Amino acid sequence: MSPGKDVVLDVEGARVQFEMDRGVARVLDDVDLSVSREEIFGIVGESGSGKSMLAASMLDAVEDPGVLSGSITYYPSPDEPVDILELSAEELRQLRWEEIAMVFQGALDSFNPTLRIGQHFQETLSAHNVDRQSGMERARELLSDLYLEPEQVLASHPHELSGGMRQRALIALALLLEPEVLVMDEPTGALDLLMQRSILSLIKKLQRKYNLTIVFISHDLPLVANLADRIGVMYAFDLVEVGTAEDVVEGARHPYTRALLKAVPNLETPYAEMQPIAGRAPDPVSVPKGCSYAERCPLADDQCLDVHPPYDDLTDEHRVACYYPEEAPAAIPLPFEDQSVERPDDPPEAAGAAPGKEGSR
Amino acid sequence: MHWLINRLGRAILTIVGTVSLSFVMIRLIPGGPLDYLRGQIRNQNPGMSSDAIDALVEAQAAINPDQSIVEQYVSYMSSVFQGDLGTSTWYGDPVNQILIEALPWTLFVMALSLLFTFAIGIGLGAVMAYKEGSRFDYTFSSVSIFFNSIPYYVLGVLFLFVLSYQMDLFPTGGRSSDAVPVGFSVAFLLDALYHAALPVLSFVLTRFGFQALAMRGNSINVLGENYLRAAKIRGLPGRRIAFQYVGRNAVLPLYTTLMISIGTMFGGAVILEEIFAYPGIGYYMFQAIDARDYPLMMGAFIIITTAIVAAILFADLTYGLIDPRASGGETRETY
Repeated sequence: MSPGKDVVLDVEGARVQFEMDRGVARVLDDVDLSVSREEIFGIVGESGSGKSMLAASMLDAVEDPGVLSGSITYYPSPDEPVDILELSAEELRQLRWEEIAMVFQGALDSFNPTLRIGQHFQETLSAHNVDRQSGMERARELLSDLYLEPEQVLASHPHELSGGMRQRALIALALLLEPEVLVMDEPTGALDLLMQRSILSLIKKLQRKYNLTIVFISHDLPLVANLADRIGVMYAFDLVEVGTAEDVVEGARHPYTRALLKAVPNLETPYAEMQPIAGRAPDPVSVPKGCSYAERCPLADDQCLDVHPPYDDLTDEHRVACYYPEEAPAAIPLPFEDQSVERPDDPPEAAGAAPGKEGSR
Repeated sequence: MHWLINRLGRAILTIVGTVSLSFVMIRLIPGGPLDYLRGQIRNQNPGMSSDAIDALVEAQAAINPDQSIVEQYVSYMSSVFQGDLGTSTWYGDPVNQILIEALPWTLFVMALSLLFTFAIGIGLGAVMAYKEGSRFDYTFSSVSIFFNSIPYYVLGVLFLFVLSYQMDLFPTGGRSSDAVPVGFSVAFLLDALYHAALPVLSFVLTRFGFQALAMRGNSINVLGENYLRAAKIRGLPGRRIAFQYVGRNAVLPLYTTLMISIGTMFGGAVILEEIFAYPGIGYYMFQAIDARDYPLMMGAFIIITTAIVAAILFADLTYGLIDPRASGGETRETY
């Protein structure tokens, strides 16, 4: 991260451990991360890489028996640090949802099936001592922002709404108490492709309208690339590469990020060019002492196997935990580097690249 | 509305069907109750002519010999639908009178049994779920399974022998003491409770375990749900989470069980009321079988069938009120 930026959430040495019969599982391993105010920060990684743990850590909401250590600092304003892990239970209860809210993975069952959607809004307001009248007005406004019919949705039971409607209602619920930060853990996981796209554009719209900071977690790198200002790539419980979306997608320097870009299925990529990453991710009980990706990496040498690589700051924004960031692009070439990011401000370098792009934003 | 009529129609059809089936079985099955009765009379009166025996059988079974079986069926069913269940051949009183007098007592015992079974089961199950894996959970899971494995009539006989006959703590039979006048008084209520205590206890102790384990399982499922995690992070008060989130969702499946229990309890009442000489519907049914008092037997049978069907119908009609997901109307089923 660049110094001097207006940081809203600062994660330092975050570690989550589970005591298990066969040893201690470390599912989050000394993660450092700073989220700037009003940015969309995307976190990408495969299943089991620790993404959800990182998300939960930001609200100190790691579930038992997981133990979170390190430090998570929230800055409501630049000179007012709040150490989230030191808060009392009541202070933490207030911080959650009022300052930092969360949309869960599996949003489709995040509503109590026996309560109406409106009751979820009301109980949240009264739990945080917010005036019901103005609170419900905000709820209606948020629902309208998300293209929902407020009265109809508030009077419905969860099962009466479609998946996409429930997802949007949940986002409205998350923004009810005007949080500064919204953490979204795979918010599009259960939705079809069209619905994913429309949710993404809604998230962008809300971010601008309410000046939100959004931490967006997904396994889908192209999806995140469309949305995020900055991206962090997780592998084996730690971030291996952090940078702007352009840095990470077009100028990826970590061998894992590059392999991930090649492995993601995409209608525009020829099937023959898609390649799975050989080998498997390390076991959280015995993470290798060197680079956790070394066993699967074509560039790995003895140093990689023995010593955990420190971050190499390529630029102010772009850092990579790898000894060979310069060699990676040649060793792991990407088939069509220009196609992965579908930003209108980044015109494709090669002509005739991608058919059917217009529906994507 | 169409759906309501449909459900009601099915319920009535079920009752008519079971009543018809039992009527036919009693009259027609070779070696059935009538043949048994005939054989008994013949054994007791070896010299009697077969015409005389038939006449006796018909008198005892309250059958009009001049009518064919179809005519008998039609006349029986039509009087049943007019509310006339015939006259008891053993007691000599109208069946209606006997059953109407007995019904409140059976309902009294059953209501108490259901109340305690479900109150204990749900409460215990919820605590067990919250303390999953603890010593408390382990102990009461074992206790629940143990009591659930004892047949209620075995426990009933045991209670009667030990607590009533040996220790003289409870009455050995009856519904209330002769000394206490019947009426809406505290003394009468206490006396009625005193007499109902052992039958109720036999039911409750052998059934609460099932409900507790079901509630425990349901609650543990709900505790792992996403909406529960979301509710915690939204900072809802613990009481609201416990009742509106965990409790309500975990109890829902037990509601149907509760209604079906009414049916099985009526069935159980036949044996239990006989053990405790507690004159309710079940007691009279047992007596009627013993005395081959067909009108009374059929009458008790009809009451029990109707109660079971009505309970399930009631569960069906009201389930939508407690579980919004089931209020879809036409296409839903509650089983």
